[in-house]
Amino acid sequence: MDMSKYRDMFFSETQEHLHNMGRLLIDLEKNPADRDGIDSLFREAHSIKGMAASMGYQRTAELAHHLEDALDGFRAGGQIPVAAFDRLLAGIDLLEGLVDDLAAERPERDIAEFVDGGAPTEVFADLPAAPSAELSTPTVPVPAAEPEAASEETLRIVVELAYGAVAPAARALLMVRDLAGQGRLLNSVPDEQELLQGGAVQRLELRLKTSRPAATVKERLLAMPDVARVSCVVERPQPVRRDARERTVRVRTGLLDQFINLAGELISNRYMLQAAFAENRVQDLKLGLDQLTRLITDLHHQVLQVRMMPVASITGRLPRQVRDLERKTGKSVSLHIEGEEVEMDRAILEALADPLMHMVRNAIDHGIEAAGELVVSASREKDLVLIEVRDNGLGLDPEAIRRKAVERGLLSPAQARSTADRDLFQLICVPGFSTAAEVTETSGRGVGMDVVKSVVEQLGGTLQIISAAGAGTRIQLYLPLSVAIIQVLLVECEGKTVAIPLTRVLRTLEVTREEIRSSGRQKVVRLGDELVPLLSVRKILQLPHRPMSGSIPAVISEVRGRKVGLVVDRLVGQREVFVKSLSFPLDRLAGISGATTLGDGSIVFIIDPQTLLEEQAAGSKLRSAGGNP
Amino acid sequence: MGLRVLIVDDALFMRNMLKEIFLKAGYEVVGEAGDGLEAVEQYRQLRPDLVTMDIVMPHKSGIEALQDIRKEHPDACIVMCSAMGQEALILEAVQAGARDFIVKPFKEDKVLEVVRRIAGQP
Repeated sequence: MDMSKYRDMFFSETQEHLHNMGRLLIDLEKNPADRDGIDSLFREAHSIKGMAASMGYQRTAELAHHLEDALDGFRAGGQIPVAAFDRLLAGIDLLEGLVDDLAAERPERDIAEFVDGGAPTEVFADLPAAPSAELSTPTVPVPAAEPEAASEETLRIVVELAYGAVAPAARALLMVRDLAGQGRLLNSVPDEQELLQGGAVQRLELRLKTSRPAATVKERLLAMPDVARVSCVVERPQPVRRDARERTVRVRTGLLDQFINLAGELISNRYMLQAAFAENRVQDLKLGLDQLTRLITDLHHQVLQVRMMPVASITGRLPRQVRDLERKTGKSVSLHIEGEEVEMDRAILEALADPLMHMVRNAIDHGIEAAGELVVSASREKDLVLIEVRDNGLGLDPEAIRRKAVERGLLSPAQARSTADRDLFQLICVPGFSTAAEVTETSGRGVGMDVVKSVVEQLGGTLQIISAAGAGTRIQLYLPLSVAIIQVLLVECEGKTVAIPLTRVLRTLEVTREEIRSSGRQKVVRLGDELVPLLSVRKILQLPHRPMSGSIPAVISEVRGRKVGLVVDRLVGQREVFVKSLSFPLDRLAGISGATTLGDGSIVFIIDPQTLLEEQAAGSKLRSAGGNP
Repeated sequence: MGLRVLIVDDALFMRNMLKEIFLKAGYEVVGEAGDGLEAVEQYRQLRPDLVTMDIVMPHKSGIEALQDIRKEHPDACIVMCSAMGQEALILEAVQAGARDFIVKPFKEDKVLEVVRRIAGQP
């Protein structure tokens, strides 16, 4: 049987089971006698074992089996002893390591050190208090163990007893004992103990490590009474597939049915349009096109569904991470995860996994004091998903950030005074902003926040920080549901159309000449109680200058937490577009994040105002531009 | 005629493997169930010729499902799926009326052999 096609499925299902195990274990640590929890944990290990054995991943199967045995023991005992948690977690880590090895097509790492040392429950029960260093060694990739002695091979033996054999269990037991005398019997199904209880035994499956040739072993078995068939083959590791692993998703069959229905409807729609066109029936053409629009919307919606995964796929590891951080920092953190069922595009979720960990780590390292609460929540906000990491810790200290910003020349003292706290907090996302100890202690969460922000922005999202000294910090990520198809605002300059992702547009504005003021050499416009610098997109794109007349359209966007107005010739309108990524050399153009094709076949570039301006203004112009009173 | 089979296992992976084996052998897989409750439900609706029943499953174990099905349909033909280390459960299942068992990791020839032997019996 060709197992290669089950490979991807093995990985996706096993990942899920491992996540579940980690989570169940963390929950059980708080409530070690939760019978249902132990049962579930047992089932997860059992599932992994079954799949790994089917794939021929022996060490993975063996370790899963080992954990399963231990859990079975705890199940009988009614609870998991406190001392066993670290070891169980180390076991899950080791399983993850093995799965990594398999995914990378390396030999499975050694598990002997972990598994050996007695019956699983005893090893678990007699565990010394703090052997974590020793136990964590398996997570370091270790090359496969020594090759087996050349003369010894593992035989996989199947004996089938004749139909109507007399006392088959006893016969089988004799065979097991005989085989055990010819080498090392690795396992037999059923085993000796089972056979002792009698029953309808028709077949025996054994694995025997022996130096005797397979043919000899086979003949010896065939010579026994009531033996109908013997198969005796040398066990070989499954050949490893060389080609790269394709990513897979699991799709509800109901959804596939809907695809087929849609495909069917599209086909009839095509015939309808063809007929209407051939007979020049304009009204039917219009009807057909309306129907096509609806079908495409449905199709789009459903394809997106396939790409959707619950947020739980990335929050699953958080309880474990928080637990480890609690140990490391000696703080006590109560973690709440909300809205795990909210679904997002898998590409976005995969990109968010690391940033989420950064934020959680920062909250525990710098936000929460001795004890506190950490909430990670996900919720739908119209077309966006809001992911929020919220703690009730120290909060950010605006004054410390102001000092630091002036020190580093990011803001003038006057700017520092006039910048609102909310905008000020964005500065902690500037690379390397808060590496200094005094800021880290009181206000800094700079570690990795630049990474978080840049990932969020690459995904077309925005990041907001809300905080008050002593009242905790909330970091909010507003993210699109999917990456491939986004809403854009089309604008025109000198007859050229460019697209700005709608997530980067705060609002649009028609400014009259009278509303424009000068602040030094910079044109600004008042928006509420803020002065927003106006920047000409013509100038940025190095198009010829043109004097403006009448009202001037502007797009208000945000750059490094500060509002800017981008002046354009004309606002064309809003569109839903399919983003195509650019390849070399176009991908090197700063400020251009992709391209799309409009209905008339023209190609439009999608610009990212932030990177475009950072590249163009190289910072200095912007700094002198904004906020001077 | 193609045998009508219901596959019960909480792992999609295992269900797919069995399904492939059965489809290749010309059997008809009339249903799949992911736990014991679903298995009992589906058995009522589908009346398959054969059920392959995993033992360790959420909500209702394979053995409980076997007992429930046999209570309503004493002639139900159910084959248990076991993994290494489950001999005791297998024996329990056989005593509760399972026709036979197949062992994970599934091997095509072994699975078919067990199924054919059972299907050949009235």
